[in-house]
Amino acid sequence: MNLLQSVLYYSPNLAHVHLLLNHFPTIGFGIGLGLFLVALIGKNEELKRTSFVILFLIAALAIPTYLSGNAALEVLCSGGDTGHDCPAGVSIAAVREHEDAALWGFIFMELTGFIAWLGLWQFRPVSRLPQWSVASVLLLSILTFAVMARAANLGGDIRHPEIQSAPQSTAAPQGEADKGGMARTFGAYVTGHTWVWPSCETLHFVGLSILFTVMILVDMRMLGVGKNFAYASLYQILPLGMLGFAVNLVTGMCFFIAAPQQYTKNPIFYWKIVFVILGAVNILYFMLLDEPWSVEAGKDAPLTAKLAAAMAIFVWVGVLFFGHMLPFLGNAF
Amino acid sequence: MMNFLHTLENTSFSQWVTGSSSVFAFPSILLLHTIGMGVVVGISAGINLRILGLAPGLKLAPMEKFFPLLWIGFWVNAITGTILLVADATTKMTNWDFYVKMAFIALAVVLLQMTRKRVFRDPMIDQKPFTSNAKMLAVLSLICWLGAITAGRLLAYVGPVSGLSK
Repeated sequence: MNLLQSVLYYSPNLAHVHLLLNHFPTIGFGIGLGLFLVALIGKNEELKRTSFVILFLIAALAIPTYLSGNAALEVLCSGGDTGHDCPAGVSIAAVREHEDAALWGFIFMELTGFIAWLGLWQFRPVSRLPQWSVASVLLLSILTFAVMARAANLGGDIRHPEIQSAPQSTAAPQGEADKGGMARTFGAYVTGHTWVWPSCETLHFVGLSILFTVMILVDMRMLGVGKNFAYASLYQILPLGMLGFAVNLVTGMCFFIAAPQQYTKNPIFYWKIVFVILGAVNILYFMLLDEPWSVEAGKDAPLTAKLAAAMAIFVWVGVLFFGHMLPFLGNAF
Repeated sequence: MMNFLHTLENTSFSQWVTGSSSVFAFPSILLLHTIGMGVVVGISAGINLRILGLAPGLKLAPMEKFFPLLWIGFWVNAITGTILLVADATTKMTNWDFYVKMAFIALAVVLLQMTRKRVFRDPMIDQKPFTSNAKMLAVLSLICWLGAITAGRLLAYVGPVSGLSK
């Protein structure tokens, strides 16, 4: 029981986590983009596909990167989102500027990730990426890279006076007022209007249900329910699951931006995000590997497909479990 | 009536559900209720969206095999829902929103049975396009589940609120 508790409530220093993760959206994304450009020039479909997988996975990793940023702020400036006590040399205005740039970077990166995923999804039946997705990912990923590089640059300025381009900002006035920024304004809108939170919650449950539609049909079929489905036909509904996830990512971000401290100091929430990442990895099995495609109507799925299906159910019910337990096992609300 | 609701709320079982600090009391019962919702609405939505034209390559007939799972989810929710209702009787039974939720669910179940009889029992299923009747059933069913989820979520916000239903 004690072991379970220490695993469940494991809380790393999230400022460290942020400093580790923040390299992925820039460097990792840069590698994905570079690979994509090489593949475009070399007209190599397999390499394009690989770069889309990287872009998709980096978009998934961008989620904890963004979230841990608010936690890093709370570590750096005690008091977090209500009243700040930043150490000398750290300007809360610089932090807010970084937060807003990062939010834009995050939005663009998730868009890129979704389009890349859709491209990967369409790759399977025709063995090439559709033109529209190649063009959109090209445009979006260059934009994302620029926006994200700016966010990274502003983030570096927070605690690295030696690299600041405008040295005057190092002299952060003591007791400087926190004027917030776009993210804080949006957060205040969510908490300031009584209809927003319940509406997001309702949509969060709708998103959960359609994610369940896909999870149940695909994964239970692999485990033996409704064997008359060929996997190739079930493959058609995967984007519905992605739509459910997208609804929940958007509504979930509304909750987070509105009340970050409910989540940044809640170890149960860390587990929820870990499971979301596992879900992103899991879905790739059902898109990239040939094995599930051998599952024809009426046939039993191979053992690895069954394991992947069981894993998917474990992971998504786990995401629901940790989300549900935020106020009970965790300390939210 | 109110006396009866108070009696329900004050049974030792109800007291355990709402008062116990155990994670197996209120939190786990509500968790099962949410998972049950995902299963019931998830499978129903899959059937309805397919009838409405999503994933045309996917046959509808094999989805009948998912009905037993749907009913397991339904009964899990009937049981956990009753427990949650009894434990919080004075608040829930006096909230109009609770009856809205029940009405949506009752209607959704009727629509589900009609879909099963008219669409799944049709020997020509998957061989000809779905009739406009079948599509109407599907749209109404989706509206009912959406209504049930919305009314269920709003139980924590409108009318008398006990602060239990997070």
